[in-house]
Amino acid sequence: MELTVRIQRYDPEKDSAPHFEDYKLDNVNKTDRILDLLNRIKWEIDGGLTYRRSCTHGICGSDAVKINGRNRLACSVLVQDLKISKSRIQIEPIPALPLQKDLLVDMSSFFEKYEIVKPYLIPKDAPPERERYQSNEDAELLFESAKCIHCGSCSTSCPSLWVNENYIGPAAFLKAYRFIFDTRDDATAERLDLIDSADGLWRCHTIFNCVEACPKEIDITWHISQLKKAALSREI
Amino acid sequence: MAYRQVSSKSGGALSWFLQRVTGVVLLFVMIGHYLLMHYNIDSGHTYSAVLSRMQNPFYKGLQMTFVVVGIYHGINGTWSVVRDFKLKKSVSWTIYALLVISGVVFGLIGITTLMSF
Ligand code: FES
Repeated sequence: MELTVRIQRYDPEKDSAPHFEDYKLDNVNKTDRILDLLNRIKWEIDGGLTYRRSCTHGICGSDAVKINGRNRLACSVLVQDLKISKSRIQIEPIPALPLQKDLLVDMSSFFEKYEIVKPYLIPKDAPPERERYQSNEDAELLFESAKCIHCGSCSTSCPSLWVNENYIGPAAFLKAYRFIFDTRDDATAERLDLIDSADGLWRCHTIFNCVEACPKEIDITWHISQLKKAALSREI
Repeated sequence: MAYRQVSSKSGGALSWFLQRVTGVVLLFVMIGHYLLMHYNIDSGHTYSAVLSRMQNPFYKGLQMTFVVVGIYHGINGTWSVVRDFKLKKSVSWTIYALLVISGVVFGLIGITTLMSF
């Protein structure tokens, strides 16, 4: 089939503001991924088109873009997954992060926030001889949160981040959960102090945009609610 | 990047919790209020009917709770919305002060009105 791909373009050296450009593609299959379309445009029409991608299989999280108004991974969405009107799809960069070029945004602040929750195990005791034991039930608590691939779809889909770029955001909360609820970790209070703050947990208003955007189908809002409960139980 | 109040102990857990508790209380009290005052004409809306109802300490207490809980929920909710935005410290403190003052003033008006019955 024939498909028009409308892409937001921006070259900081030439353009004063971003604008849209249409690219007509023929022989598009329903089973083509959106990343395939971007690649075709880059390889066959305009080599200057700039976007991130690496693994191309939904693992590295580098190609989150806004497709038809929703944050998604270009490599994990097929043409047939989209509601297409007027044979056109629209691709924009994920919002709320500084735009660098075309579909490329500066992810630095996203990863800074990820780092402030100390995304590593902080045990009080020295390593035991064999392993830090964890039961299946304890590990089960972490599996869903550990599926995160840090693509930024959730945080940048959150209205709380749109109005306040300091908001720590769902991705960092999810990482905080992953360690706070890890029975081998002993830095719960330290992490809760960091997220139980004015730009932290309480700016989450259970809007569920993050859940809708997550390509790994993680129920992020549920995880945030567990953090809220943990933070609250310290005070009452 | 400058994060506000990182490591703050008063991040907002308590006000978040109270917002939910007052929300649930308001839901029930408001349903009662609407049923009694707006959908049940027989309950009487004349001055003497209101006066006699107000003699019941339980009813008066309920109205007091309604005033306090309603004002807390409204003011706290507005403050929570304001905190979503990245405002200059002076602006957010001014809004905070206005909210607290208006809460106190409306609370006093409500309670003194109830006490006058
Ligand atoms: S390219 Fe790695 S997740 Fe899409």
